[in-house]
Amino acid sequence: MFSNPTRSLLGAGRRLRVPLSARWQSTTPVQPSAPSPSPAQETKTTSPAESVPIPEANAAKSTSERMGALDNNARLPRSVQAVYLRPLRRKAEHGLPVCDLQLRSYSVENVEFFADFAIRAAYYLNLPVSGPVPLPRIVERWTVPRSNFVHKKSQENFERITLRRLIQIKDGNPQSVQAWLAFLRKHAFYGVGMKANVWEHESLDVGKAMDQSATEIQKTLEPHLAQFGQREDNSAGNNMFDVLDSDRFAERKSARA
Amino acid sequence: MSKMASMFRPKKLDLSGFVNTRLIRDHNKRNAVEQTEPERQALRYLIRNTSLPQRVRAQAQLQLSQMHAYTRPTQIKNRCVASGTARAVFRDFRINRFQFRMQALAGELPGVKKASW
Repeated sequence: MFSNPTRSLLGAGRRLRVPLSARWQSTTPVQPSAPSPSPAQETKTTSPAESVPIPEANAAKSTSERMGALDNNARLPRSVQAVYLRPLRRKAEHGLPVCDLQLRSYSVENVEFFADFAIRAAYYLNLPVSGPVPLPRIVERWTVPRSNFVHKKSQENFERITLRRLIQIKDGNPQSVQAWLAFLRKHAFYGVGMKANVWEHESLDVGKAMDQSATEIQKTLEPHLAQFGQREDNSAGNNMFDVLDSDRFAERKSARA
Repeated sequence: MSKMASMFRPKKLDLSGFVNTRLIRDHNKRNAVEQTEPERQALRYLIRNTSLPQRVRAQAQLQLSQMHAYTRPTQIKNRCVASGTARAVFRDFRINRFQFRMQALAGELPGVKKASW
């Protein structure tokens, strides 16, 4: 009984809605020219008697439609949208390994999530990445008796599986590699351990550079090297017992007592 | 140098968690070994150095043997930190096998699960 009229009404609404919405869309850019007269005229032409309720319904529909249009047409910011897609990667130019990062965890989700995070971070730091390479799992197993005393026949097995992922950075700027590692450290994920091997590459004239830096290094080492060797006025000679009974050892003994 | 073990005992208890007489004793031994290690190594060097006069080496031997038993590294024994037991202590967790089982079943050891294969 009620279904038919309602359907017809809805149908009318739909039929009405299409031209109205189209008009609304068309009018919005041309608003400054003549906004008010055109809707009034069209409503009069369609149905003069029902002119009062129809615009209200139309207005409600148009707002809901506008929201729907927002959902359909508006896109997320690119950076947010990228979260739902596979991580972007830079292309390595030379393929020279610069940094190996190993992630370890006992749970797959954590290590997978953090590997993904690390790769995304590397992309935004302009670092070419290869990985994550799933390294062999480390399985540790223990067998213990169930009881606290004897009864060796009834035992129980326990295991701990460490999952590993390797992320390799190729020909990246060493400073940005450091920044990347610092960023990962700052946002370290719970239950995920990190271990990084960082390699530095030198030009072909390494020997010359080392020779040049040798004097500076010697200067910095001098205070440390001065601690080595024997003093000329060391009269103790072979008698180590004097040394052992000296103030230094006496101090240790007194501190311990 | 007195032979009393009390000289290695701190005035105030410097352990927390599960505490046991044997656990405290082992802890004191560890401290003693750590503090006297250079002395022991020097004496050991004197004893083994064949270029030194025999008298010096014999004297060093004597002195080393006179040192307190607590300063010997062989006196240290791994003990369970949760129960003080000295047997079947896992190096990875520093606990006894039974404590390991209880804690693993309670989920207190990260990553440790019941295994079946």
